[in-house]
Amino acid sequence: MRTIRFPMSREDARSLSAGDMILADGEIVITAGLPTIQRLVACADEARDPPIALDGGSLFHLGSYSQDTADGGLEILYMNPTTSTRFNPLMPRLIRHFGLTAVGGKGGLDAGCVDAMAEVGCVYLSFLGGGAPLHSAAIKAVRAVAYPDLVAHYRLVRLAVEGLGPLTVGIDTHGNSLFDTLQQQAADRMPDILARLAAERAAS
Amino acid sequence: MPITYDAVKALSAQLYDWSLRRVPPDTLAGLETALASETQDGARQVLRMMLGSARKAEAEDRFVCSDAGVPVFHVTIGTAARLDGDIKAAISDGFDELVERISPPLLKHVTNPLTNERGYKGRDMPLVTWDVAGGADWVEILCQPKALGSGRWAALETFSFPSLAQIEAYVMKVVMQAGSQHCPPVIIGVGIGGSFDVAARIASKATMRAIGTTNPEPVLAAMEQRLLRAVNATGFGPMGTGGDTTALAVHVDYASGHGYTPVAVCFNCWINRRTRARIHNDGRVERME
Ligand code: SF4
Repeated sequence: MRTIRFPMSREDARSLSAGDMILADGEIVITAGLPTIQRLVACADEARDPPIALDGGSLFHLGSYSQDTADGGLEILYMNPTTSTRFNPLMPRLIRHFGLTAVGGKGGLDAGCVDAMAEVGCVYLSFLGGGAPLHSAAIKAVRAVAYPDLVAHYRLVRLAVEGLGPLTVGIDTHGNSLFDTLQQQAADRMPDILARLAAERAAS
Repeated sequence: MPITYDAVKALSAQLYDWSLRRVPPDTLAGLETALASETQDGARQVLRMMLGSARKAEAEDRFVCSDAGVPVFHVTIGTAARLDGDIKAAISDGFDELVERISPPLLKHVTNPLTNERGYKGRDMPLVTWDVAGGADWVEILCQPKALGSGRWAALETFSFPSLAQIEAYVMKVVMQAGSQHCPPVIIGVGIGGSFDVAARIASKATMRAIGTTNPEPVLAAMEQRLLRAVNATGFGPMGTGGDTTALAVHVDYASGHGYTPVAVCFNCWINRRTRARIHNDGRVERME
């Protein structure tokens, strides 16, 4: 399996296809909060720098819980993805403004986001929900935490990770989304599925 | 020794804590079975990660998912149980104390639906349902925390004298709405009939039945099998990124009603958090799952 350095380069992003699986090394920025995403949109609108730099970076819908350590650092106790679709209306703005190369979480993003991602050269990575023990073990250090007024999982956090994943490329930079394809495929299969249900009902 | 406030308080808190740190054995077995028959490489990789995550959580006493959800308890009180104290208050006091001491700490998931503010406390939290068991001399508590992924995609529609075809088509419609969103493979509960609240409750209870058990009613057993095949034919797969395993089980139950027939469909995500125990009249605690 391919290991990719983060923040992901534009070139790496463009080299991936929906369905690929990768491991992540390097630095990522995460948050699970809608208020946080709204603040980042406000930064974009008002041409302010966000408290953690995002330009050409990787922003994931992951929630984490960090606590202070004895030596004055921070320790992440656990980390897990959240459902991305609730950020659908806001993500295109962030993807375009910050030129993000990778976003992610679980459940995918909608067509508006897929367009923005194709335009900019950004992939969506699907994380295992319920994978907290695995994801947490990949965290090597907490580099920065912003928006401390928010609840822990809403804060904006920059992390150093090693061997995070495997992560599935859910949406690539070429406009392919596993989530859309699978939804369409299921819809196409539905007449047959219902016909089979009818046949099995009649036989039982 | 009767069933005391202290016993219920301690046990309900423990059941929630335990539920966060392991995937129930029936669910692990279901994932193993799915892994053996799954035909897609990516899907197998995701299923292997799920099993790995579950085992690591249990071995290292960690949360499987950092979204601990909100505490939901289903309490059944035997009519011969001897109660001493306010066991309703015991459950909420138990949760309050757990929040103070649990390690790692819980995230603030309790949400006021009018303001979306989050904290550890809120009206009617923990969410508790109450039932009565005729003749039993125990109190049974089942804990099934619910989070957005596993709770958000539930739906209910009311029909007039529906055919089985209509009911099954509706189940598939709700499955399509959930798509890739609810951390599949899921456990699907279907409740048919009764009234609005009864159908919802039946569906929710159906998700708590152990995977691999057969419905005692042949009509429902057949329906469960064909619906499971139908759901898995959609192809959403583990984590909704493609595969043959979208559901580990479909469980169906019903109540008689009036001909207007609510059909409720709900889901539990792959980690299928669920713990259950009884406190007997002699004070003995029996852990059941
Ligand atoms: S749906 Fe379940 S496994 Fe997925 S993030 Fe939510 S609680 Fe965790």
